[in-house]
Amino acid sequence: MRPPFYRRYVMIALLYAIFGAATIFQMVRINYTPFARDLIAKSEDYQGVRKTIYPPRGTIYDRKGNILATNQIGYEVGIDLKYVSDPESIAFATSALLEDLDYQHVFGLASTEKRADENRYFVLSSYVSKETIQEFEQLKASYATRRDETKSLKPSLSGLVWTPMQQRTYPEGTLAANVLGFYNYFSRENAQGVFGVEEAYNRLLTGKPITVFLPNDPYLVEALPDIEPGASLILTIDREIQKMLEDTLQEALDWSGGEGGTIIVADPKTGEILGMASTPFFDPNQYWTYQDTFPGITPYNRAVGSAYEPGSVFKAITMAAALDSGAVDLNTTYNDATGVYWVENSWPIYNWNLGAWGVQDMTGCMRYSLNVCLAYVAIDRLGEELFYEYLQAFGFGRSTGIDLASEANYPLRLPDDNRWMSMDLATNSFGQGIAVTPIQMVAAISALANDGRIMMPHVVRGVIDNGQQYHVTPQVINYPISAQTAREMTEMLAISLEEEASGALVEGYRVAGKTGTGQIPTELGYTSTLTNTSFVGWGPADDPQFVVYVWIEKPTISQWGSEVAAPVFKTVVEQLVVLMRIPPDHIRMQVASEQ
Amino acid sequence: MKNRILQAYKQAPWRIQTQWIGLFLLGLVLIASITGLYLSISAQAAASGRKIQSLEWQISNINNEIAELTSSLARAKSVDNMKSRAEAMGYVPINPHAAVYLEIPGYNPHAELELAPPRVSIISESPTLLSSYRTSLWQWLVKNIWQAPSVQSSVEGELQP
Repeated sequence: MRPPFYRRYVMIALLYAIFGAATIFQMVRINYTPFARDLIAKSEDYQGVRKTIYPPRGTIYDRKGNILATNQIGYEVGIDLKYVSDPESIAFATSALLEDLDYQHVFGLASTEKRADENRYFVLSSYVSKETIQEFEQLKASYATRRDETKSLKPSLSGLVWTPMQQRTYPEGTLAANVLGFYNYFSRENAQGVFGVEEAYNRLLTGKPITVFLPNDPYLVEALPDIEPGASLILTIDREIQKMLEDTLQEALDWSGGEGGTIIVADPKTGEILGMASTPFFDPNQYWTYQDTFPGITPYNRAVGSAYEPGSVFKAITMAAALDSGAVDLNTTYNDATGVYWVENSWPIYNWNLGAWGVQDMTGCMRYSLNVCLAYVAIDRLGEELFYEYLQAFGFGRSTGIDLASEANYPLRLPDDNRWMSMDLATNSFGQGIAVTPIQMVAAISALANDGRIMMPHVVRGVIDNGQQYHVTPQVINYPISAQTAREMTEMLAISLEEEASGALVEGYRVAGKTGTGQIPTELGYTSTLTNTSFVGWGPADDPQFVVYVWIEKPTISQWGSEVAAPVFKTVVEQLVVLMRIPPDHIRMQVASEQ
Repeated sequence: MKNRILQAYKQAPWRIQTQWIGLFLLGLVLIASITGLYLSISAQAAASGRKIQSLEWQISNINNEIAELTSSLARAKSVDNMKSRAEAMGYVPINPHAAVYLEIPGYNPHAELELAPPRVSIISESPTLLSSYRTSLWQWLVKNIWQAPSVQSSVEGELQP
């Protein structure tokens, strides 16, 4: 027997069952529609944000631990449309405090129609200074006070937001900028080091960015993984030496009327660059003005990026090769009877003053910087094969491998080259018809100051990575000459300076060196009266601890290296010995004799 | 007769009702306990999550402050500033010939500069988050209540292959 109202109960049960089944069917269906997939994808946006965290870029120190490049905080200023209530005040404040922002433009952005289904954020300015942000904060506080007083909702900066971010800074300003390069941080994701150490060590300095998901759900929050900052670098540069070089170079250019110049100080025993000044000077804190400072093909760092005909400083290389090969010895003489050396089937070679200097030994040839004598040594004594073998052993014709970006290299013209002429051997012997960079000259000359060894020139002394410090080991790259030849050359060039009563001599310190005056080729030949003046020297002669290379380009006060570059060398060394704490020779000898 | 026997062993209706009510209440208490435990752990997890976010924010702020102070210090100690401060204090560049040189035994002017922090031995590395904050309630219950503690399979003195 069925209970009363049985059919009604069955009907109600069926209705509920159908409703339940329809609900479940709809729930399943909704999850598989394209709309549902979009909805699910959109819901993931609200679950959190995926963010790439960039580690702080490594710090760059000088050899004494002074900071040359580090990071500071800049702010990104933007408009979060969701919270904007007073577009006029935002436009007024930002156009007044931020450069290059127009009231109408900001007002337009801040007045953009809000949509409930999306968050809209507009970046107004990046890397705004802390001082400007403090002004915004003060303005915000004063607006809040005014709102309280007037019991109104305006004025308000609500919706104007600022977010801190790290930016590259160079606390020393222009100091060593040509060595450091710069970091173009404005391009954010694509930012990278440009020129100098910043470019050469970009990957090390940058570190490894990581992408993490930052959930909004507090249940899913986890501690962020440790992010190792980029490696830090300790340079071989001494900032006090660098400062002295840059000041001296600027004074030299002011005094000589030179167009540009470079001075390099290196330790010949290790290849460490202690200072490297190059014009024009540049403030990497305003790297976006780079094109104004370096128009056209102006090299960022002349010391490594500019090749030129060095002139007579190159005679030291020719003479070293001749002595080392045995082609000549210290007592070999040359009779400069006419002041002219005729290159076979070619043109004559003259001395710098067009004069004849009579019988000279090799020291005399160097002392009076006789072109004809060096042409004779290269052609008649050394020969083209040996001469170019030595040049290659000294590192000419290839990069030195210095750890700086954009090193220039001018290929060596060799006898098996179609363009090579016998005249080249003569002119190359005294530094014409051959293009070298200042750093190539420093590396080559270092062999004379370091018992015949050429050390790899480098500017990074150590790397701090992952909390550990690694030291760069000095590397020998070649032995072009013997230790005996190196000492003979040092002695010869020290005597040359002393007998010449050169403007490069430094009281109390015996130094060796050679002047150079290089003619500048034009399209019509060597027609310009302007020259490249240079001087390379090292000391103390008995135990060389520094090599100094000076190049003043196109001076107007004089065309001679002995009158322009040699006094600059003297000024540099007088200050350098103090900064390097090198006592005068007699004190060193006294201490050595007491030991 | 059969009906009478059944009736003799049948429990009183009030007793059956009491048993049902008891069972229902027991279930209710169990559900309430689990809900309470779940809420408690969820609340702790949420609070920890918020604390982590807050600490991360603090770390970020401190790192920014360190960067700011480092760059300010570097600017204050820049060679131009130091030079002008020295000159203001009456110092002048030294003449090398007027300098007095002293020999200091053991002094090495070419010694390598050590800027990396000194090495320390790491005693232990603890996880940033306790495992209880990274497990679900089910995993926690399985681990702490139902999972039998591991028993040493070998008996003392027993030979092992």
